[in-house]
Order: sequence, then C-alpha cells, then structure tokens
Amino acid sequence: MLKIKKENINTMIEMLMKDFLVYAPVKDGVRTAFKAISSPDEISLGSVKSEKSPKEIFFPQSEVLFEYSKDSVTVPEKNEKPYLLWGVRNCDVKSIRMLDKVFGNAHQSPDNSMFKDPYWKQRYDSSVIFNFACNQPLTTCFCNWFGGDPFDETGSDVFFIETETDFLFKGVSEKGIALLNKSGLKEDAGDDNAVQKIREEAQARMQPASDITPLFEKLSKIWDAPVWTKVASKCVNCGACAFICPTCHCFDVSDEGKNGKGRRVRLWDACMFPIFTCEASGHNPRGNSTQRVKQRVMHKFNYFMDNYGIHLCTGCGRCIAVCPVNFDIREVIKEILKYEIKDKVTADV
Amino acid sequence: MLQDLKGAVRKIIEEKKADLVIGWKQGTLPGTATPLFIETPEEVSELIFDSTCRNNLTSYLTKDKRKLSKDYKKIGVIVKGCDARSVVLYAVENQIKRENVFIIGVPCSGVYEKKKLRSVAGGREILSVRKSGIIVTVKGYDYEISVPEKDVLSDSCIFCRYPDAREYDIFIGEPRKEVEVDGEFSVIEDFAKKSAEERWEYIKAEYSKCIRCYACRNVCPSCYCNECFVDQNSPKWIGKAPETSDSIVFHLIRNIHIAGRCVDCGSCVTACPVDVDLRIMNKKVEKEIKERFNYTAGLDINEKPVMATFCEHENQDFIMS
Repeated sequence: MLKIKKENINTMIEMLMKDFLVYAPVKDGVRTAFKAISSPDEISLGSVKSEKSPKEIFFPQSEVLFEYSKDSVTVPEKNEKPYLLWGVRNCDVKSIRMLDKVFGNAHQSPDNSMFKDPYWKQRYDSSVIFNFACNQPLTTCFCNWFGGDPFDETGSDVFFIETETDFLFKGVSEKGIALLNKSGLKEDAGDDNAVQKIREEAQARMQPASDITPLFEKLSKIWDAPVWTKVASKCVNCGACAFICPTCHCFDVSDEGKNGKGRRVRLWDACMFPIFTCEASGHNPRGNSTQRVKQRVMHKFNYFMDNYGIHLCTGCGRCIAVCPVNFDIREVIKEILKYEIKDKVTADV
Repeated sequence: MLQDLKGAVRKIIEEKKADLVIGWKQGTLPGTATPLFIETPEEVSELIFDSTCRNNLTSYLTKDKRKLSKDYKKIGVIVKGCDARSVVLYAVENQIKRENVFIIGVPCSGVYEKKKLRSVAGGREILSVRKSGIIVTVKGYDYEISVPEKDVLSDSCIFCRYPDAREYDIFIGEPRKEVEVDGEFSVIEDFAKKSAEERWEYIKAEYSKCIRCYACRNVCPSCYCNECFVDQNSPKWIGKAPETSDSIVFHLIRNIHIAGRCVDCGSCVTACPVDVDLRIMNKKVEKEIKERFNYTAGLDINEKPVMATFCEHENQDFIMS
C-alpha cells in the first residue's frame, strides 16, 4: 500500500483538486453531507456516515433535462472537470455501481435503439471513487448481510485506510491504479499488524448477519400472504427512506412552463407516495400502504435480483436511522424469512 | 405504572372493549420506541411506555384512507396529553366516532427529542439512553455524557400545558388537568423581535434543507386529507422540485391548513430527517388562534372547530376597514 502522513494529506487532495471536482463529506452542525469542496480543510471524514447518500452527486434530486422556448431547445452544459468522490463508504460505492446498471447500461428504446442515460453518463463515466474503510461501523450497518465488510474494497477505484498516523492507499481499478501512480506516493510495506487490528475491531462491531439466501425465492411465493399487512402496519408512507437511500432511483418527469417557454425536470420520486402509481382515471393500482410497502421490499429484494442478479440494498442502514416510526428493514426481512407458507398462494391480484 | 397499563390493555383485549390496541414497544435503535399493534393478550407483554414513546399513535386512526377504522370496529389507543387532543380533534372534525375509539391515557413526563440526543452525543453514534431521576445518560463507544433531562426533552413537552389526557375511557394513575408553563410562545415571540431580513434569512435557510419526503405531513395527526394539495396536478399548486420557494409554499400552506388544529405533539419535528425547524411556524399560527379566538385545539370535544365557526363578537377589522 502507498502511505502518506496524515498531516500531508491536504497536499494530496489539493493536487487532485487540480484535475477533479472533489466531493467529500463535510460537517454541517452534527450532520455530515457530501459536498463539492473548495479547500481540503472542509473535509470531515469522521466515523459517522453522511446522512444523505452520495447518489445525488450523479443523480440529483432535481435535474433540468432541457429548457425550451418557442424556437429553441437548450440542454444544460456539461461539467468541466471530472468528479472525484473522496471518503465514500463501501456500501455507497456499491450502490453507485448498482445505479450504473440502471442508468449506464444500455436499455432498449421503443425504436429498438439502445439507450443509455446521457445525464448520468457524463458525470459517472469520468468519475473516480476513493473508498474509505470503515474503522467504526454503526449499529445500523448491515452490509455483512449482502456479503459486505467494513474493509471491503469491491467496486472502488482507490481504497484507503486511516491508521493512527497515516493514510494508506491502494489502487483497485485500472483508473485508480493509474491515478495513484501519478501521485508520487511511496510504496510502504507498513505495519500490517496495525491495519489488521483496526480491521478486526471494525468487524467486531458488526452485528451478526442473517442468511438472506432464501429471500428471493420466498418473496416470489408470498404475493398474497398476510405477512405483508403485518410488516406494513406501522409504515406511514412518507418518502424519507427512499430519499436518503443510496440505491432507490425511481424518478418522475415534470414539465414546468408557461408563455411559450419552460423546462423539463427529472425529480426523485418514491413508491411510498400514493400518487406514484395513481393513473389518469383516478384508479390507483397500489392504493394502500401495504401494497406500497410490498413494492419497496419486492423491488429491492426480488425484482432487481431478477433483472440484475443482485439485491438493490447494500446494508447502509440509513433508512433504519431516519424512519419516523422505526420501520427497520432488517426486522422486515427477518419477518419474511420466518414466515411459513401455509395457504395456497393465489396469482397476482 | 407499566404493569397497570399492561393489565388494563390485556383486560380491554380480553373483554373485547377494543379489537385492536395501538401502543409502543422497544424500538431497534437506542432511545427509540416503535408502534405496537395489539390484537391478542399475548402481544401485551411487549408493551412499554416511557420518554422514548414519541409517536403520536392516533395518526393511525385516520392514516391510509382510514384503513384501520374499516378493519376494526373499535380501536384502543394509548395516548399522551397531546395525542388525546388529536382524538378530540378527529371527533369534532367528524373523522371518527368517539364511541369507536377506546382512549387509554397514560401520565406523560415528556418525550426525548432525537435531535437533542444527537446534539448531546456530538453527532456520534448513540448506544444507549438511560434515565436516572432527572438525569439522562447518553452512551457511545468512547463517551458517556449525563445531562439534566430537560436538555433532551422535546420543546413541545417543555412548553406543554396539557401533559395528560383530558378525554379518555381509562387513565392509568391520576391525570393532571393543566400545568403551569412559562413562555409557551417564547420561541415565536423571540423570533418576532428580529428584523424582517433576519427572519426571512432564517426561514429560507431552514426550508431550503427540506427534501420533500413529506414525513412531517405523513406523521402529522392533523394532516389526514385523502389527497394532499402537493399531490394535485390540475391545477398544480407547487413545483415538485425541492426548490426553496416551493418548499416554503408547501410548509406555509401546511401551517395554514393546521391552524387551530395543531396539538403541538412534535411528531413533525421528530420525523424530519434533515432537522428543519418546523415548530416555529406552527407556534406562530397557534398563537394567532389563541389570541384572536381564545381557542386551543383538542381540548373540548363539544366545541366546534375554530375555523369552521363564526361568532359575531370576533374581531372583524379585516373586513370592516
């Protein structure tokens, strides 16, 4: 691994800032959020995860797709510098990679051409992600349910660890390795025992994982089961969980204009909201809370698995922390796994 | 107290005085309770009541197009003083029939505000919250901080006049009718002393944090419209993007909609994932209603809703001039 003394880290970040627009965790009161920084001094790596996930850097809550007037259409200008995300936890790194499966992968358009989301791609493709090891996972962290680990480097470009006196860097992707090669950092065998100790302490903080292997199959069989009413009863159907979730990516498109000019905006939406599925006729196929909670769980642990072979959740635990009624997704999964299929399961209603 | 409460709830279920009782159980996070839906005597064992029981459970009576009211003939609900006022509000606004709700009052000494606990912990993770006398101790991996309980109580509780239910079917212990508080409206009175620019800057800064998840609206007992104005699109009242001007419109219209209906339970404040100061404008409207109409929401089940009545002696300056 490459080593840099903690007191010299700002020099490295300043160097990166020449070529990249650097997003990093910044403290705001007792909260932490990812923001584009103008000086390395703003960074607060700390032990606590950012309250909102960094997904909004690539997929903003509201984004103008284009502006129009009677005789012209203007697409917003591209960002000048590529993005560099500094200090991202592995759960969030994996989430961003998952979102790329949706926005960056080619999907078939109605005219049979292959479509990729240009707004996502222009930010994402040139980006570099520095994954920061979790020395102090939180009690809401459950990445280990999905094969994760506080020191997992999967999906990152560069992985780095904080020790008492230093930061240790490792290039993971080709892009990351090339960037580190340019950095002039010195290779250092370092004190492996010290790193191992930090890693073991971090792992010891993780709560035991549930085996979720049967979850996908189970969900495919319980569409009509009463367990849904049970798990959904306390949900109040707000969008807090979806909006702070690093993997939720449903959106709405809204046209805002008058007097011959306006703009088309893409906005986050959430399957918890009643109008998410409300049809023009007034009919709502997901008219009640239970149906909407079921959709959220099914999308994360069944449909996405069906489409992309992976669960749409990385165990970051943010939804557990913000839910006003303590709707704990871990408990919901356990409840579903525990549920025994007794009745004959009827088809889709 | 808890044993008495459990006994009472068990009896209510066994004697079928209610088909369902909504209470709280220990949540999965330290210092957090979570709603508990009790249908059988066995489920009573999980019941708790303490200062972590923040949720105003009465919002489940009207939530989701009153689904619960359809599924159950009579619902029991455990209430703090503010929650009981919500039930009264529902009754006077014809959202429930009083006889269909079995109100179980519990003596409330205030609930802890998540934001204040987090502030005590300095943003670090909280592993336990313990109360001993009037001292609350917040513990994490590498810290332990003790503070007077009032430092972590919700503002709604610090300035609460009616901590115990006035309308109930059964009360566990002796209810207090009303307690004296100083500076009930101090938050808005102090704010009013600032210059218009300062006030505007503050409101803008607070509402610009809003991510429009509508958690405040959805936990609010007084927000029970089948279709909220923000969800309407013909006409479309506000933009869906979380732009400050639209967010201000959302919050101010909500303030006006709950004028004379807010019971200051603090649910919205606790629910907000980004800590927007939602209480200050609620208090402003509550103060206006109190001064103009001498009305406080949810106190009297026989009184008409203040915004749905008219009295000749009311101040009519605004139409006479």
